[in-house]
Amino acid sequence: MRSLPDEVVQVEHVSKEFILHHNRVDSLKGKLVGLFKDRWRTRHEHFHALSDVSFTVRRGEAIGLMGRNGSGKSTLLQVIAGILKPTSGRVITRGRVAPLIELGVGFHPELTGEENVYLNASLYGFRNKDVRGRFDDIVEFSELAHFIDTPVKNYSSGMYMRLAFAIAVHLEPDILLADEILAVGDAAFQEKCHDKIASLRRNGMSIVLVSHNEQQVRDFCNSFVRLDGGRVVETGIFRTKTAHTR
Amino acid sequence: MAKTLEHTPLTDPSLSGLRSLLAYSDMLRNFVRKDIQVRYQGAALGFLWSLINPLVMIGLYVFVFSVVFKSNLPNYPLYLMAGLLHWNLFSQITGQSCDTLLANAGLVKKIYFPRLLVPISSVVFNVVLWLLAIALLFILYPFLGGKLHPVLVVYPVVLLFFLAFTFGITLILSVLNVLFRDLKHLVDVVLLFLFWVTPIVYQYHRIPPHLRQLFAVSPLVDYVLIFRGILYSGQLPSWHILAMAVAWTVASLTVGLFVFNRYADSLVERL
Repeated sequence: MRSLPDEVVQVEHVSKEFILHHNRVDSLKGKLVGLFKDRWRTRHEHFHALSDVSFTVRRGEAIGLMGRNGSGKSTLLQVIAGILKPTSGRVITRGRVAPLIELGVGFHPELTGEENVYLNASLYGFRNKDVRGRFDDIVEFSELAHFIDTPVKNYSSGMYMRLAFAIAVHLEPDILLADEILAVGDAAFQEKCHDKIASLRRNGMSIVLVSHNEQQVRDFCNSFVRLDGGRVVETGIFRTKTAHTR
Repeated sequence: MAKTLEHTPLTDPSLSGLRSLLAYSDMLRNFVRKDIQVRYQGAALGFLWSLINPLVMIGLYVFVFSVVFKSNLPNYPLYLMAGLLHWNLFSQITGQSCDTLLANAGLVKKIYFPRLLVPISSVVFNVVLWLLAIALLFILYPFLGGKLHPVLVVYPVVLLFFLAFTFGITLILSVLNVLFRDLKHLVDVVLLFLFWVTPIVYQYHRIPPHLRQLFAVSPLVDYVLIFRGILYSGQLPSWHILAMAVAWTVASLTVGLFVFNRYADSLVERL
């Protein structure tokens, strides 16, 4: 077992401010004309996507980030993933973070399934030699053995998602950041995804799941944080831990 | 703060600097391999295409300048190649650098990895394609009239400095292009201009003396003179040209790394 502190994600007073560029001009000509003509000038507006958000995720815990569209939950996920820097506050993560913000990011349609496995895993910081050891498991999980040497442009969207998902769960993340995606494919494959995630959690993986679907959060998570307008409006624990008792 | 596990916590954003870049070396390899594979997919001649363009250029310039204009330079093809091949390297890398961040926007917005890898992979990709051309120069070197001067041993060092200089420019352009999307058109024009104010196809001393001071401002002039000194004349140019080249490299790399590190994170929001 790894000796890690129990708090694997600490979000401390995180605020994120975006500058909205109304009438944004990204050309040299536009910028020059904007010096003289008001209509061409970009108007800036400060927009608070997150305000003073704090919470902690413990090892093996699954936390659901809930809220309506535009409440800041996806922004928060990007901040935890390190993609966006918070304007103030800080995020501490301990262990390997796997952001499943979009499945199959970095897949290239012209490359074969196998080549994409190595490419995709290396984007998450994996060495090719480490991927080699897991390659057979990934292929077996994805059920794509027959197609692994054909370009992914010929894959159906279901096959594409299965491969992407198989890669992500076999990178043995300590913290899985998921945006609505926790199961893909048909009913049987979804069942397999759920089982895999349950077994990873038993080994101490934590999950941060963004969803506006309350039922999905109940199925997977044992606690939740509700955001509205970039602020935490409610936190809580689910009594029935469905994910554990499956 | 974050600890090292039995695997390094590679996607840990708090890991920074050279260590995290080294940890991602396989990403760089896979990325460059992908770019080359995709570029020459289905092309019968494949990789050889990267040679055809410079060969045609060299053939045309040799025709124009030694047949039409009757240059009196001995070994004109070697004279030309020593300058032209390095110019090609510079112009291909900088011409492409504007697009690197935008072309990889989907990736940069969805996964955290050291952002510096995007421009680095673009540079490495172009260098790999270019290696074939420079290898050909060295193979043909004795037949083109090249002599084995001792000064040839400093060539790799000069090449590294030249690449570092180009890399710095790449960093600056890749950031600026996100803010000013039409920068790449400007870069194309500037590259065309730079090509003709750099003594690549003609001799430096053909420039009228009163204009020479003006031309000498360009770092490309310094580097072309050095490369040609090594590969054609067999001697390094005067020390102040060497010093200028080093100064340009230090300046370009310093400004480039500063600008990139300062703005790369916030650029994600503007991609």
